[in-house]
This record gives sequence, C-alpha cells and structure tokens, in this order.
Amino acid sequence: MHISRDKISKYGVIATFTLALALPFFSDSMFILNLLVLMLIFIIFSSAWNLLAFSGQGSLGHAAFFGIGAYASTLIAAQSGVSPFITIFLGAAVAAFIGILIGLTCVRLKEWFLAMVTFGFAIIVQTLTVSVLAPVTGGWDGISSARLVSPSIPGYQLIEYYAILLITIGSIAAIWYIMKSKVGLAFLAIRENELEARAAGIDPVRYRLFAFALSAYLAGVAGALQIHHIGYLTPELYGVDNSFWPITYVILGGLGTLAGPVVGTVVLTIIWEGLKATGITFGRYVIIGVILILTIIFLPRGLVSLPEELQKLRERMWKKEPPEEVISGES
Amino acid sequence: MDDPGVLLQIIFWGLYAGCIYILLATGLNLIFGVMKVVNFAHGEFLMLGAYITATIFFLSGINPYLIILLSMLALIGIGAIVERLCFRPILGTGKLNEIFLSIGLMYIIQNGAAMIWTDNWQSIRSPYDGITVPVGSLSVPLDYIIIMVVTAAILCGLYLFLKKTTIGMQMQAASQNRKGAMLVGVNVERIDVISFGLGCALAAAAGTLWVVSGQVFNPYMGSIPAVKAFAIIILGGLGSIPGAIIGGLLMGLAENGAAYFLGGIWKDAISFVILIIVLVLRPTGLFGEKGE
Repeated sequence: MHISRDKISKYGVIATFTLALALPFFSDSMFILNLLVLMLIFIIFSSAWNLLAFSGQGSLGHAAFFGIGAYASTLIAAQSGVSPFITIFLGAAVAAFIGILIGLTCVRLKEWFLAMVTFGFAIIVQTLTVSVLAPVTGGWDGISSARLVSPSIPGYQLIEYYAILLITIGSIAAIWYIMKSKVGLAFLAIRENELEARAAGIDPVRYRLFAFALSAYLAGVAGALQIHHIGYLTPELYGVDNSFWPITYVILGGLGTLAGPVVGTVVLTIIWEGLKATGITFGRYVIIGVILILTIIFLPRGLVSLPEELQKLRERMWKKEPPEEVISGES
Repeated sequence: MDDPGVLLQIIFWGLYAGCIYILLATGLNLIFGVMKVVNFAHGEFLMLGAYITATIFFLSGINPYLIILLSMLALIGIGAIVERLCFRPILGTGKLNEIFLSIGLMYIIQNGAAMIWTDNWQSIRSPYDGITVPVGSLSVPLDYIIIMVVTAAILCGLYLFLKKTTIGMQMQAASQNRKGAMLVGVNVERIDVISFGLGCALAAAAGTLWVVSGQVFNPYMGSIPAVKAFAIIILGGLGSIPGAIIGGLLMGLAENGAAYFLGGIWKDAISFVILIIVLVLRPTGLFGEKGE
C-alpha cells in the first residue's frame, strides 16, 4: 500500500519521459506540437529561474537573459552562418556573461534589491536594443532569425521537437546534478543562513555568482531556442510577461524543487490554453493571479507537495483525538 | 543646453513628475516602514485611483481636484481589504514571497480593471486645461502648479497625522520597533491595516494627479512607476520620508533631463541606470544609514 517517495519520483520521471517521447505520435496536429515545443522551452526557462531561487536570489527580470540569449544567438548565426544548434550555446554564454555582471552589482545586497535591479535591467536592455543597438537589432521591428531545422526538411517539426526535448532533458539533468552536489548544498546553506554558511567556509559571493551565471545561461538557451523555433524576434521578448511567467510556473509547481518547474509549466499551460478556448481574455490573467496567490498562501511548497499535504489532511481527519499536549499538560 | 529657457522647462517638468513619484514613494515607504512588506503591486493602486477619479469625473463632472478625496477614501478601503486577505497571511515568510504575491495581485488588479474599463488608453481634460501662468521667463500650465500645491498639502497633512495623532504616533512606534510597540499595547495588526490603506490612498492621490494633468492612462500603466518608486525609496534610504521626497524630485528631474538629452525612449531606463550606479557605489542609498 505504502509507496516510498523515492519510488514515486522514480516512476514519475520514467512516466514523464515516456509521455514526452510518445506524445507527438498521439497527435499530428501542428498546433499541439507547437504548444509542446513552447512548453519545453518554458520548462528550461522556469528551471533556470528556479535554480536562482534555489540559491536564495529572486529575479524579476529574467526576460533580459532570455532575450539576450535570443538576440546573441540570432546575430551570431546571421554573421557567421553557423548552425543555430551551435549558436544557441554561444548566445547563452553571452547571456551568462552579462548575468555575472548584473549579479556582481547585487551579490552583497538583500535578495529583494536584486529583484528590483533585474526588473530594471530588463527595461534597460530593451531600451538599448531599440535605441543604440537598433542598427544591428532592427529596433522595434525586430529581425528574422535562422530556423532551428529548415522547414524544407520533411518532418522538420518532429526533429525540432526531439532536439528541444533532448536539450530540456540535458538542462534538467545538469540542474539535478548541481542541486545534488556540494555546490547545491552550498546554495542551500547560503539561502538558509548566510552567516552560518560563511562560518562553514562557504564564500556566498562566489556561489551566488555561479548560480546567477548558470541561471542566465539556461535562460539564454531557452530564449535562443524559442526564437529559432519561431524564426523571428522582437524586443517584446524583454517584456514583463516573459519575466513573470517563469515565476508563476515555478511557484505553482513548487519553489526550489526539481519537478516544480516542470509540473507548474505543464499544469498552467493546460489551464491557460483551456481558458483561451473558452474565449476569456483578461479574465485568464485574473484567474492565474488568483491561483498564484492561493498557492502562496495555502500551498507554499507548490503542487509537488500536494500528495504529501493531502496525506497529512487525511491523517488529521481520521484521527480526531485531542492533541497529546493537552493531556500531558494536565499531569 | 544652449537655451536656458529649455533647461528651466525641463526642471519644471521634473518637479511636476517628481510630485507624483513623491506621493507614490511616500506611500510605499509608509507601508514598508511599518510592515516591512515589499509590495510591488503598489502601482496598481495608483492605476485604480486614476480610474476611480476618471469614472467619477465622467459621471458627475465635478472638479477632478475635489474627487481626489473620494478616490483616496476608496483606496483606503481597497488597501485594507488587500492587506487583510493577501499580505497578512504571509507576513514574515520572507521578502521574496511578498514579491511573488504582488505579482499575483498585479495580474488580478490590472486585468480586473481591463475587464471593467477596457484596456484602451484614456485621458480626461482638466477644467484648467490650456491656462498658463507666467513664472519668470516661462509660462507654466496652471495644472502643474495646482499639482505641486496639492502634493505639498497632502505631505503636510501626512506629517501632522504622523506627529500629532495617536494613530500616527502608534504607526511611528510600530515602524521603529514592532515588538516594542506591541509590548506597550499598540494593536500592531490594526496599525498594519491603517498604514497599508494610507499608503494606497497616497497612491490614489498620485494617480489622480496623473490623470488630471492630462496624461493618458490604461490598466497597465502602474507597474513601471511602482518599481521606480522602489528605486526612489532605495535611493532615499528605506523608511525615510524626507529621503523619499528628495529622491522623488531627483528622479523626476533625471527622467525629464534624460528624455530631453538622450531621447524619450530613455525615460524609463534612466531611473534604473541611476539605481544600479547608486547601489554599486553606496549600497545603503544616498541618505540611508544602515542597510535593510
């Protein structure tokens, strides 16, 4: 009857893998495939944001790195003619480099200062893109970018899907490895108590910067994948929406957990598309906002903790005995 | 640069923009001072204030400068509800949690407003539209002068409220030392509601002044001014109201200067450039004593 949590997560991982591999065979609709691709991209993006949150830092402007990765990859591909499969990682490196610079301004400050600085940074980057850099970036009009897989190849969408799935799995595996390693422990120690971490010989500045660089890198990969998938990019990539989606996904799924971003992205995308089908426009955002707030207040560890919470609730319902403290207090 | 008249004009615009930032930042500072809550959705209250004023104006045609009081009153109520339902349950669970909750609030308030009032840009005409007053070599719109006077009056009122009334003194006590205030019998939770409501009322005043001056508004207008207001209170030192006033004026001036010299596109970005530079050079803000 009782299944250990490890087993659940093992089965969960296997089931998710199989489903992700098999899904395109159930539906050959372009719409569904496109949706799945975007979902994978946002899983990478949310996981990147989540990694940063795992190290105790919150960013409100991750769209900046998403966008920088996209622009850098597009421009490198256009200038050099190298395949997008390579430029994705080069563009992401640019995002990581800029991420380190932004991280440097904030590593010694309180976590919510970073939230503000990153929010502002996304606006600064957008401004730069449409003003000083407009000759290269095309300004508000944007530029076209090389497709990941040329549409002239038959079944190019399927190839793209599996390629992006591979990159997604790789990214999550990398994050899993880091969270499990000593580095992940150091992140945790810094998040919980910086002073004690420092006393244990952990240099918070170095680890924070590392988390920032890695998070910006993966966000850059996600951004580059998205625009090479769509084939066109505009400065709207830097918009507040793109900064807030990963936060919403991660909080709903479960902050600081590996599965959280995946669960959150999938569940919220389904809800979002479902609401879209009913024709609600502004109401969709209101519903998302309500879900977000209810999650923060009533399910602070997100959907991944739901089975555990339900279990607790069931136990409480069955055992209606008075709490032990009352009895021992009288004796 | 070559024309001193233009420079004066920029300074005047800066002062006017600064007034709106001062009100927004002061309200934010009040909330942060008492509750230590980081409410990124503060700009949404500005937006609601703007819409309430505009709606009452459309319906009744009363002088919009008088509606400011109604709008502030309405926002005290809305603020109290938001505090009670959203922020109180998560008080003390960390600044990031508060920020995430604000994002949810932003989604709800912005799009709720869009459902009521549509997301089109709107504007209203002040009854004094087109009237200018000569100030030195400049001719300044009368509205700008009224806005500065109203801002000054609101700030004086706030000052008197904080210094002379029991609730105001309790708010000061709670912001200086929450536990200490509790020990001497201050109902801190009630003070929380009042400060949050008051902060929202100041945002409503800012929103009203925004629309009265003829600026266009839509449901999404609030988020950037709110983050700028945060930049201002960090620049001015957290919890310091004089800091918020000086920071607000400086931000108004810097923005209008940047819009003139670098181009209008830089208007939003410049405040964050300044914020980043200040944080790198002086992490506690320009007037702050110790970091929060």
